[in-house]
Amino acid sequence: MSWFADLLGPFRGFAVTLRQVTRPRVTIKYPDEKRVKPDRFHGRHVLNRNLDGTEKCIGCELCAGVCPAKCIYVRGADNPPDNPVSEGERYGFVYEINMLRCIFCALCVEACPTEAITMTHLFEMSTTNRDDAIYTKDDLLVEPDGTPNHPQPDSKLIDLNELKIGDGWMRATSPSGRAAYAGVVQWTPSARTGALPAERGQSGQVNDEDSGEETDG
Amino acid sequence: MTAVISNWSHDNQERAKRIIASYPEKRSALMPLLYIASLEHAYVSDDAMREVAELTGITPVQVQSVASFYTMFKRGGVGDYLVSVCTSISCYLGGADDVLAAVESSIGDVAGEAAAERPITVEHVECIGACGGAPAVQVNYELIEGVTPEKAVALIKWLTATRPEVILTDEMQQLFGGRRSFEWGSTDSEGAVRPIPAFGPYGSVGGGSVGGGSAGR
Amino acid sequence: MAEHGTVSIIINGVEHDVPEGERLITAAERVGEYIPRFCHHDKLAPVGKCRMCLVEVEGPRGSALTTSCTVPVTDGMVVHTETDVVKKAQEGILEFLLLNHPLDCSVCDKGGECPLQDQALAFGAGESRFIEEKRTFTKPIPVSELVLLDRERCVVCDRCVRVADDIAGDPLLEFIDRGSYVQINTFPNEPFSSYFSGNTVQVCPVGALTSVDYRFKARPWDLESVRSVSLVDSVQSSVDVHTSRGKILRVYGAENDAVNEGWLSDKDRFIFSAFRSPDRITTPLVRDGDGFKETSWSEAVELVAMRLGGHVGTEVGAIGGANGTNEEAFALAKFMRTVVGSPHIDAQLGDGLDPHLASSITARGTISDLDAASTILVWGPDLKETLPVLYLRVRKAVRNGAALVVVSPYSTGLDSIATHSLRYRAGSGPEILRKLAHGDAGYEAVTETLANGPVVALVGRSSITENPMLAEAVAAFARSLPHAKLLPLLTRANVFGALDMGLAPTLLPGRVSTGDAAGVSLLEDSWGPLPESAGKDTMAMLEALIDRDLVAVILAGADPIRDCPDPAVAESALDAAEFVVAFDAFMTDSTRKAHVVLPAALWGEVDGTVTNLEGRVQRLRRSVQPRGMSISVSAALDDIARAMGAELGAADWQLINKEIAAVAPAYAGMTADYLTFEAGEEGAVVPIPGATQPLGHIPVEVNVPVVTGRFTLHLAPALYDAGVLVRNSHMLEGFADPGVVRMHPRDAASLAVADGDLIDAEGVGLPVKIDPEVPERSVVITRNLDTTRGIAASADIRVETVRGEP
Repeated sequence: MSWFADLLGPFRGFAVTLRQVTRPRVTIKYPDEKRVKPDRFHGRHVLNRNLDGTEKCIGCELCAGVCPAKCIYVRGADNPPDNPVSEGERYGFVYEINMLRCIFCALCVEACPTEAITMTHLFEMSTTNRDDAIYTKDDLLVEPDGTPNHPQPDSKLIDLNELKIGDGWMRATSPSGRAAYAGVVQWTPSARTGALPAERGQSGQVNDEDSGEETDG
Repeated sequence: MTAVISNWSHDNQERAKRIIASYPEKRSALMPLLYIASLEHAYVSDDAMREVAELTGITPVQVQSVASFYTMFKRGGVGDYLVSVCTSISCYLGGADDVLAAVESSIGDVAGEAAAERPITVEHVECIGACGGAPAVQVNYELIEGVTPEKAVALIKWLTATRPEVILTDEMQQLFGGRRSFEWGSTDSEGAVRPIPAFGPYGSVGGGSVGGGSAGR
Repeated sequence: MAEHGTVSIIINGVEHDVPEGERLITAAERVGEYIPRFCHHDKLAPVGKCRMCLVEVEGPRGSALTTSCTVPVTDGMVVHTETDVVKKAQEGILEFLLLNHPLDCSVCDKGGECPLQDQALAFGAGESRFIEEKRTFTKPIPVSELVLLDRERCVVCDRCVRVADDIAGDPLLEFIDRGSYVQINTFPNEPFSSYFSGNTVQVCPVGALTSVDYRFKARPWDLESVRSVSLVDSVQSSVDVHTSRGKILRVYGAENDAVNEGWLSDKDRFIFSAFRSPDRITTPLVRDGDGFKETSWSEAVELVAMRLGGHVGTEVGAIGGANGTNEEAFALAKFMRTVVGSPHIDAQLGDGLDPHLASSITARGTISDLDAASTILVWGPDLKETLPVLYLRVRKAVRNGAALVVVSPYSTGLDSIATHSLRYRAGSGPEILRKLAHGDAGYEAVTETLANGPVVALVGRSSITENPMLAEAVAAFARSLPHAKLLPLLTRANVFGALDMGLAPTLLPGRVSTGDAAGVSLLEDSWGPLPESAGKDTMAMLEALIDRDLVAVILAGADPIRDCPDPAVAESALDAAEFVVAFDAFMTDSTRKAHVVLPAALWGEVDGTVTNLEGRVQRLRRSVQPRGMSISVSAALDDIARAMGAELGAADWQLINKEIAAVAPAYAGMTADYLTFEAGEEGAVVPIPGATQPLGHIPVEVNVPVVTGRFTLHLAPALYDAGVLVRNSHMLEGFADPGVVRMHPRDAASLAVADGDLIDAEGVGLPVKIDPEVPERSVVITRNLDTTRGIAASADIRVETVRGEP
């Protein structure tokens, strides 16, 4: 009995293969081809700009304070009144993220009062040198026209367009102190268009048209 | 402390000395001295505050603190005529807002014509104790009761045109007033010359009887 | 029934015994019921301005809301702090306070340590009903060169106004306007230029007052706080040093009721900016022709060891050591007395007092004795200019009713609050002392005041030109006053510690006189034989260098050319010396003449203990790493000793600390562990129980000669002079006076000079300032400014009109 079963073994194996032949392939030709990530994917950070080209970061260090991995280093400085770097009195003079330590939890995004730091869909950040993994302001800040930067822009792995896709995140806090906002999904207005209006959902209505319904499609 | 060379009149300097002498502490003379400072320049200037500080042995900023607390100590330039429109409850119900608007708009015209001199200053004040004759207006602290917007405009035109030396309440009441709340019983023949509260012979300030034990009267 | 001195109150249904007369808010906090507050401050008078501390107190007509900061506790008081009524009141008040408060917490320096933030979260409604636009002001505006003001953040708590008026005595900040227009401001063109302006930044419960230097430097959560001591003057105020990433970013006053009660002078608060000066010496330097060349520590140590070892011990002297820790001072004293074998050591530069008087005066008081004094006698340097925090303490005592007698050759900061302010012509101090002691005609009122004990006498040298023996005579007089306590006044940071460590020709560590045979033999048991000859003080050492009796000298943070009474002597002495080694953090006039300059760590960079003017020892803690290759003087001396073939045992401050406790009698038991575990943050006054003090100096009446001459000189000290730290601090440099010769109008008339005319004072040209506060036939010149530093401190000065050039 058993010898017959052994004889059938190879055919059973091929049956698996044959069954899979008809199914759609999951393998893609990375990096020539890239998977579309889930909406709330937490990829690399970008630092955004205001409509007028000034930086959104005001150097408040809340991101550094909230970071559980302590990977963010920020230092503020006085904004030169005649040529302001950001809105208000203070701007982020040093902004560094150590991507080797970052756990991509997005608490910095949630803590940011100006939506200066947001997360995107790019995750390709491998380097051959530890120092290169520390992203400085030059690498993180988008250009005034909305073009994002990357330390290895020419690498085959990197699709800069992914840096223009903002991620969705869920609020643990509520704007204007409303408990109704806890848990509402917000969409980070990262550098899709380079220059974006301030955070939505502050009007007091939970389901106003900007507060949580809009996605990147 | 730098000595201020006094630019007060001799009479007022003497008066200031008598007032200071009538208090156990120099500082207590602050309010009457500020009143003298107003008499001297029609308002309390920075120099006047320095002078009062010197006289009372406190710092100028402490004088400024008191002078700026009381709205009847004017700290800016006041024209020859100070028109005070009451906007407290009785006058408000009687249409004081319209009176104030009328006065302000006609002053705007006047100011346009004679901006260089700006003879009339308008302010709105809290209750001036003429609720029975609301809405009430004061010119250099001389009262008119029952003023309407039209009469208020006429009052401003009259002030601009005739430039009266002395403001007489009876005269103004007759020309621009409405119903008197009661027969005042006395006629005011002295009137007011400058936009300084016309308290008449105010015990420790006005008369020469100070220092003879009548300071309290 | 409550104990005596306490009353029983019921808070939220629980009965508590609290001290009688205490304010309700403090009493509640003592028993664990925190009541929110903004305007209340323990060290300031109650005003009840912010209304945040409203609580319900039951009374005969039912319970009513009362401000707990203004109400003293009474027996049987029934208080509710958590009822709905109280909650509604707190929420309402916070809503009002936030009415005009901007939402710029994310850029505000106070954000993260802000009482308004914290209490809005803990006691606020969470939402405001006000939708109106907020009031805005131009921001920030400078109220002084050190403090910036954001008026829109102000919650009108009155703390800064009370600090300026009640504490500092400089009422230059006030409320202007009223209602919703109210703002804090200064008078136009009269900035808040107070020596204590930084305290307003510390007490401000919001970010309205911020420091120019700290603005936007860091956020509270990236600061590390280290409790330490400010080594700016000999009061040694307790401070919290806040650092981030190896840099000192700010210094806050720490609560130490025995010393500074949380207050600091601006010099204490901002002097740290000198530590990061680009002019710091960061590597050892050796002379190379006219200049210096950088070298390594090992080469420098070898060189110093070779040069010092090449001389007979008694040919070497050491000057300084009063700016470091006790451990550094002890290491220097031990190095000189044992390794080098020289008795010539002095921490003072001829500008101080007799070491016995300063270190070991009997009936020595403490700073807190001032609080209980009926009469305070100040005969010494102008406290406001030299020991500003002590000036605050005297002010406080006077405000609380103590009588104050100030004796000085020139007006002092305390004159305005003094009961009696006696002025004498510089040099004629002994005369006025005699008159006071004998109760001469015209002095009855003063002697009557002084007869009202307990008296605390602050005795020092009014200026470097004053005969140091006058302080001895004054101390002898003060000691005869009823229940008198004395505080000797020397100003240099740790000079009392240095004297206690034996950095004086007549003292050995632990307040032992060199003449005390028992004390000497006790020390010799552990140190080996001590040099037998008598030690020279600084001036004698400088003279000896000129005369070639001494050939080498160690300068430990000392700049004799600037600080000793005769700059010319110091200059030629250092020129004549064969070998000068200097430990310093900056290039000074004296270090420029050195052959080897070794970089010394400053007070934020070293660990150890220090002793203040009352003999209180406190822990000085390191908060940052020393700059460059700087190390402590003691560690450097340890290396040098080893290169000379001796063991100093000073490699680590804790080793020295233990040795001090073992060999210095007055410091017996005074270890770092004792300070940490027994004494607490207040520190402890030596000798502690169990220790003894061999030397008890009883001041004697001495005959001090009166100086006469056409003009006598008073070299007045100033807080902001051209001292080494001030001139290297970007915060404080430029605050110094330009330097003038002050003289009485009649003297100016006799010389036929007017205000601003140039005058020749002992070869230095200075403009005249006519000042009726100066006694006749006396001139007052501010000491150690860039323009006045060449003037020798001779009591009799030659002043001539400059003819010719305008």
